[in-house]
Amino acid sequence: MRALIVALLLVTAVARADDDDLLQVQKMKFVERGDSLYVTTSIGKLFDFEAFQGLKSGFASTVAIQIWVYPKDSREPIAITTLVRSAVWDIWDEIYTVKTCKTCPAQKVKSPAEALKLLTSVDDFPVAKLADIPYDDIYYLALRADLNPVSKETLTEVRRWLSQSSGGIDRGGVFFGSFVSAFVNPKIAPADRVLRVQSQPFYRPAPKP
Amino acid sequence: MRVLVALLVALVATSARADVPPPAAAAGEALHEDKEFGPVILIESIEITGNTATQTEIIRRALPIQPGDILHASDRRMREVRFKVLALGYFRDVTLGMHKGSARGQVVIEIHVVERGTFVLNRLWFGTNELTPYWIGTDVGERNLLGLGIAVGGGLIFASHGLVQGSRDQWAGELRISDGALRGTRWGANGALTLVHGSEAYRVAGTSGTAPDEFRAFPYRRFGGRWGVTYDITTLARLSAGYRLEEVDTQLPVAPTQELPDGRVVGIDLHLRPGESRIATAQLGFDRDTRPDPILPHSGGRITATAEIGSGALGGSYNFLTVFARYEHWFPLHDERHTIGFRLAGGVVIGDADRFDRIHISDVDQLLTPRAMGLVLSNAAPLDILGTRPDKPSYGDLGGTATVEYAARLFRGIGKNRVYGGDLFFGAGLWGLAEAEDLRLRDRALWSSLPIDIVADAGVRIDTELGIFELTIGNALGRLR
Repeated sequence: MRALIVALLLVTAVARADDDDLLQVQKMKFVERGDSLYVTTSIGKLFDFEAFQGLKSGFASTVAIQIWVYPKDSREPIAITTLVRSAVWDIWDEIYTVKTCKTCPAQKVKSPAEALKLLTSVDDFPVAKLADIPYDDIYYLALRADLNPVSKETLTEVRRWLSQSSGGIDRGGVFFGSFVSAFVNPKIAPADRVLRVQSQPFYRPAPKP
Repeated sequence: MRVLVALLVALVATSARADVPPPAAAAGEALHEDKEFGPVILIESIEITGNTATQTEIIRRALPIQPGDILHASDRRMREVRFKVLALGYFRDVTLGMHKGSARGQVVIEIHVVERGTFVLNRLWFGTNELTPYWIGTDVGERNLLGLGIAVGGGLIFASHGLVQGSRDQWAGELRISDGALRGTRWGANGALTLVHGSEAYRVAGTSGTAPDEFRAFPYRRFGGRWGVTYDITTLARLSAGYRLEEVDTQLPVAPTQELPDGRVVGIDLHLRPGESRIATAQLGFDRDTRPDPILPHSGGRITATAEIGSGALGGSYNFLTVFARYEHWFPLHDERHTIGFRLAGGVVIGDADRFDRIHISDVDQLLTPRAMGLVLSNAAPLDILGTRPDKPSYGDLGGTATVEYAARLFRGIGKNRVYGGDLFFGAGLWGLAEAEDLRLRDRALWSSLPIDIVADAGVRIDTELGIFELTIGNALGRLR
């Protein structure tokens, strides 16, 4: 039993170090305008050197951003917003075409730095209705950005060979049991890179009488 | 034990750390860009590099784009190239590049693959119990024979015999070959040869003990093959059809009987013809798997069903029909950090099926040693938890399980340390196995005649670059009971 506990602890410790899903706290700017709350921040950390180089591959780079606002001491968001941005390099015209949302018109920029800025800047972006945020209550904004996210259907397809039966004689194993096997087992991540950030706590000060 | 429980509770608690609420029904845009934009390109050629074992044609067939295609650089097919190649299962990584072609607007796509070992250890059998002092065996495969995309595999197992009268050492071997996509089409083909040299123990006295004198055994030999075709209806759903022919040679005891606890002696049907007989069947199956991660499933589901008919018209000695189905679905909770899964599996055997095509108790009760390459390795009775029917049958023609499983994510990684993820899980449910006749007639109270009981399992599943491992109670008991 002790050996089992030690083995479990070791595996967990090793794997914990590999957990890529850790949350970072990042300072963000919030502004009230009209009936909405706007945020300004950047997700530049989503791109490392390799991802930045990938902007010039000729294949589209896509950033999927999910933003949600939630009160302290609760896991129920009061507002959720998603947006998808993409950039693609024209290897003949040597120009980037960037779309910052699905319905936005495409923008053309020359340098990779400009393309990166368009992909990763969240400038004055509406994230919640003010009516949903009572005065003096503390809230957080959380943001998850995925670089080149892979759809669940694609993930399923890529790993499908794992669950295909080897066609063995043991019907019981196929229909009732599970399987354990060993092999070189590459796995694709659900995105090239993932960034999870959380804002500092914020609140709406009540207007002075 | 207390330490283990505390550790497991702590692991679950940390896995559920309340950092960010789940993005429930996502408002706004879908998270995957489908609209095409950017430059229109003409694919002049596709260069494939890095493959030393796998034939280039195998990769080329899997591609969703071809030379001559005109499309946007952001076209969905361009994004799918990498994953279609990875889905072959022969490569560790695939990287893409694009270069200028010979004329303006034309491009050359470069696909660089990194091959991986495709040798697979499918199963490892070992264990010990009273009926079989030791058994050892393995099932291995090569998924990409000579780079042709053809999978071959086989297994071998040896099991020594215990003190049951009439038993003998058992061994079995199997050879398989399959091609899931014949010349890159949706059609696949497979075949297998099996030889089993076994002996089956059957109870002659008592109801739940494993004492050798409560059993007798008879020898048998099975030799046969299976041939089949598959058709991929979609990338996630497959139809299959097949034919199986087996020669069975057995030396059955004359008029075998069992002495019941009340002193009555009843005849036993061993469900085999004495001497030589033949099993010939035709089979039809369906499989649809929508789990994004079949190893540590937290969402999606799988449905599998197969019907097999054995008939004299096909060349066999047994006329029967079997229908088996399995359904499971996983409901993600809290941003997929937790999940609840429901599993239903069951089967029915109609007619005069041979012993080997009937449902064995270890098929439905995971706390017993499972059959290995057709060999029955244990004569242990299932744990009597509910106090239902004490003399549950070893074989039945109606059986199944219904279980609920809760899994908590312990960790997820991208494989930097060769570990992709781990889950802690607890599962429980009911299993049942009966002869149809038992359901028609009963000579005791309803509860004590029910051929059902509880099945439960708990443990840790770990998905690593080296394979999939389970540390579970069921796995441990399956090697000792």
